[in-house]
Order: sequence, then C-alpha cells, then structure tokens
Amino acid sequence: MFETDTGGAQIQLRALTKQFPGQAEPAVDSVDLDIPAGELVAFVGPSGCGKTTTMKMINRLVEPTSGEIRIGGEDVLALPPDELRRHIGYVIQQIGLFPHLTIGENVGLVPKLLGWDRPKAEARTEDLLALVNLEPGEYRDRYPRQLSGGQQQRVGVARALAADPPVMLMDEPFGATDPITREHLQNEFLKLQKDLRKTIIFVTHDFEEAIKLGDRIAVLRNQSHIAQYDTPANILANPADDYVASFIGADATLKRLALMTVDEVPTEGPPDPALPQVETGTSLREALDLMVANGTDRCSSPAGVLSYTALCASIGREEVAAGDR
Amino acid sequence: MTAETLRAAAAQPTNLRYGKGLRKLITPVAIAIVLAALYVWVGTLQLDSIEQRSLNSAVIIQKAIEHLRLTVVATALVVVIAIPLGVVASRAKNRLITPFILGTANLGQAVPAIGLLVLCTFVMGVGFQTALVGLVAYAVLPVLRNTMVGVQQVDPALIEAARGMGMTKGQVLRRVELKLAVPAILAGLRTSLVLTVGMATMGAFVAAGGFGELIINGLKLQRMPVTIVGGVLTASIAFLVDWLGGLAEDLLKPRGM
Ligand SMILES: Nc1ncnc2c1ncn2[C@@H]1O[C@H](COP(=O)(O)OP(=O)(O)OP(=O)(O)O)[C@@H](O)[C@H]1O
Ligand SMILES: [Mg+2]
Repeated sequence: MFETDTGGAQIQLRALTKQFPGQAEPAVDSVDLDIPAGELVAFVGPSGCGKTTTMKMINRLVEPTSGEIRIGGEDVLALPPDELRRHIGYVIQQIGLFPHLTIGENVGLVPKLLGWDRPKAEARTEDLLALVNLEPGEYRDRYPRQLSGGQQQRVGVARALAADPPVMLMDEPFGATDPITREHLQNEFLKLQKDLRKTIIFVTHDFEEAIKLGDRIAVLRNQSHIAQYDTPANILANPADDYVASFIGADATLKRLALMTVDEVPTEGPPDPALPQVETGTSLREALDLMVANGTDRCSSPAGVLSYTALCASIGREEVAAGDR
Repeated sequence: MTAETLRAAAAQPTNLRYGKGLRKLITPVAIAIVLAALYVWVGTLQLDSIEQRSLNSAVIIQKAIEHLRLTVVATALVVVIAIPLGVVASRAKNRLITPFILGTANLGQAVPAIGLLVLCTFVMGVGFQTALVGLVAYAVLPVLRNTMVGVQQVDPALIEAARGMGMTKGQVLRRVELKLAVPAILAGLRTSLVLTVGMATMGAFVAAGGFGELIINGLKLQRMPVTIVGGVLTASIAFLVDWLGGLAEDLLKPRGM
C-alpha cells in the first residue's frame, strides 16, 4: 500500500488538528512533524497532552478536524480507513488480545483480514511467535489468559507486526509490566527493530524508555505542541527550555553517559592490565561507575587506557574537568 | 515422592470433573424418577371413561408434540427477533430508541398473559399462530436484555484493538462483540425457554393444544388426576429444557473464557 525503501515508510504530519465536539480548545493543535522512514520516534509528554489522539489520527481511529497526514508520500485521509488500518501495526496500552481466540488466531487475524491463504498465514504466525521469543509449538494453541502479562505484551507486538506493516503505532506497549520484564522487553524490541527498521511512533510516560528506544524524541506540551524534537543525545545536551529540562530530570549528564560507549572516547596508550577492565560496548556510565568504585580516574578497555578527563571531554565538559583537578 | 505429588496434582482436576459430571446427571435422574412415580401412581387409579379419554399414550404423546412444537417455534422466533433488537439497543448512537425497544419488550412480559392472549384472539382468532404471538411477546425480554448487556459489557479496549487492526464494524460485531456476548445470550435464552414451556400451557385457551389442555380439562371436569398429569409433565419439560440449556451453555461458550 505504501512505498518504502527500508522496512518503514516516512510519516509527515502537517497542521494536524483535532477539536473534539463540545470542548473549548482543540486536543491536538496544528502539529507539524516529519518522521524519517525506519526511525523510532518516542512521544513523551504529560497525561492528557494529546499523545494518544495524535497517534490515533494517523490510523484514523480519530478523524482529524483539519490538516494533512502522509505516509510514504500517500495522502492517508484519501484512503479507505479499514484498509488503511490493516497496513498500520497498532499496539494499545491495554494489550487487547481477544480472550476467545488462541494466541495463534490473535496473531493471524490481520493476515486473514487481508485474505492471505491459510498456509501462508500459519507460517507467518509461527515466524512471528518465534521472533518475539515465544516457542510456537508451546504457545500457539493457548488462550491469552494462560499467558503472563509480559508474554501477552509480546503477543500484542507480534500481532501488530503480522502483516509486515511499514508503520507501527505503539501506545505505551510495555506500560503494564514490572521494571525487570519491561527492561527485558525493551532490549528484545530494540534488537528486533534493528533488523526490521519499521517507522514507529512509540508513546511513553518514561523518559528513560524514550532515551533507550528512540532514534528521536518528541517532547510534547499540552495540545501536542512540540517543545523539542531531536535525538536523545541532543535533547540531553541542549534542552530547548525549562519544560524539556524538567522531563530530563537532574541527572542529564549521567543519562548522556549512558547513551555513549567507551569506544567513542579517545584512549591514551595501550591497554593496562593493572587498571580496572571494561569491555568494548560498555557504556560510559558503567565505566564511570567502575572508576568511582575503584577510587581511580582511569580504566582500561581493549582499545587502550580511558581517563576521566577524556570521558568528560567526550561529552563537552572539559573545562569543568580541568577546573576540578 | 515427586511422582506421587504429580499424580495427586493430576488427580485433583479429574475428581472435580467427575463431581461436576455427576451433578449434571442429577436433574435427568430426578425427572426420570418423578415420571416413573407418576406412571405407577396413575396405574393404581381406577380411571373412569372421561379420564381414560385424556390419560392414554396417544393423547399424551400428541399433547407433548403440540407443547414442544409451540415452545421450539416460539423460541426460534425469539432468537430471530431478540438478538438483532438487542444489538440495536446496545449501540450508543441508538440511545434515543433503546428505551422504546426495552419498554415494548417489558410490556410483553408485564401484561397478564391471559390478557395478552385474549387481545391476540380479537385480532387473529384462535389457533397455533395466536398462541405463538403471545409466547414470543412474553419471552423476548430475557434474550433481548441479555444480548444488549452482553454486547455492552465487552471491554472497549478489545473493540479499539479490533478496529485498529482493520476490522470493519460488521466484523467487529460478528467476530468480537457477539462472540464475547455468547454466554450472556445463552443464559437469556435458557430463561426464555423455561418461561415459554410454562406459558405454552396457556395455548389451551386459544385451542393451540399442549399440556395446558390436560390441566384445563381436568379442572373443568373435576378430574384431578388429569390436571396433575398435565402439570407434572409440563414441569418435567421445563426442568429438562433448563438442564439442556445448561449443557448448551457449557458446550457453546467460547473456549478461553
Ligand atoms: N473521544 C474523546 N472525546 C472527547 N475528548 C477526548 C477524547 N479523547 C481524548 N479527549 C481529550 O483530549 C485530550 C488529549 O487526550 P489524549 O488521550 O490524547 O491524551 P494522552 O496524551 O494520550 O494522555 P495519557 O498520557 O493520559 O494517555 C484530553 O484532554 C482528553 O480529555
Ligand atoms: Mg494516551
């Protein structure tokens, strides 16, 4: 349905507005946003600011009052809504698995709506369950109530991926899980998205989650006004205003360190086995933690010795570091 | 020890299932006992010629057929009428006509049954069809109300999920809402069936036959055994139908719920 180069399609919102009848102000007011193909954009903002409404206008569960939506260049408002929705993956916060259908039937629903033949749809269901780490033989014929919350959320994601849609809308998909399950789901999902490169809008209340998953973050104020739209690193380094800074919280620098790895910092001299050791791919936050824990200002990676000064310099804080010495 | 624990754990649900199975047999066994006792009791009586004319197998089988035919046809009509109306009444956009639909269905049940039949007789004369109209009017409410409530209580998140994945409104209704309302609809249907079996005795007043005829003839001619046989047979059918309804509910309710 949509033209795509990667697994995803570009999304463009132009002056997108929703005025619910009987309300003084629009719930979403003239939003402009470009989401490049294959990127995951996290929507962050306070409750009631219009995240869900903005998202639902894209699959037309909410009809826009005015404005324009394009996916892969195609005018969404000119397409038949039911057909459109079959090509947009949708994960709702409440998961919404159908209790009277098996896991396999839940996942195979959209392919069935699209008229795929049975063997093809069944093969797809098996692949998807395996993709979200649920052994098909074990889970396909179970009913949703026989799964844990985390497993149900995986099925919700698999169901949304079923027809290989170029665009996915995810409304707090990992909201209802404990922190450990949640982190596990996030990691799995990141791995998945690395291969799939779908264009994804991901609503979350959790700024940490937005940093971790988002290629970009859109920080929203009331009526979906965009306070800042940029990469996580740029938002952490240069919050546009106090409102954005308040979302980041007090430990912006530590959060930035968490986004970078030891491989991005220039090393001094060859690896030193006498120093605390870090591996390639370790985050700078963990490296710093190790230095503090060992009371040193240096550690060693396979690439060479990493100093506190170099670490500070890499996030643009050399003056402070120099002043400290 | 592990094996023992496992076996104990496995045995429990089986026991429960047997217990449930046994409980399910109580109703038909009780009905069989009552009918057998009735048969024996009638056998001990000295029947006069009037009683003999009613209490013979040909007449009783004919009355049973008439009674069941009324019940089955009326229930089929109730299903055809009440489920679509229940769906219509459940839609938020129809909330203006919902009270009207429910009010009419209520009226069917609230008006005294005899009065309803008499009214129907004025319009249609006596016979099977007249009795049918009265029965349907009387039994529509439980199915209608349960369909409405059953559809309304479906989790809105499920409907949003269904719409969001591209189901049309009709597909959402057939594949999600009605499926999930099946237990409620079946419960309503069971109530309607039992009501109909009882109400079908009134068919005798409009010459539609059934066990009501035995009851009324017995009363009119002061032949108690005839009335008692009619009454007990009607009650037995009501219990039997209720029991079958229970089986159907277990069988037809969506798995996974
Ligand atoms: N169907 C509707 N009818 C009327 N008003 C609505 C409707 N849906 C949402 N609103 C209003 O629009 C505004 C934005 O709601 P929305 O659900 O988009 O917020 P949100 O950012 O997703 O909030 P949350 O984080 O709590 O989910 C709210 O003020 C809400 O009351
Ligand atoms: Mg929301």
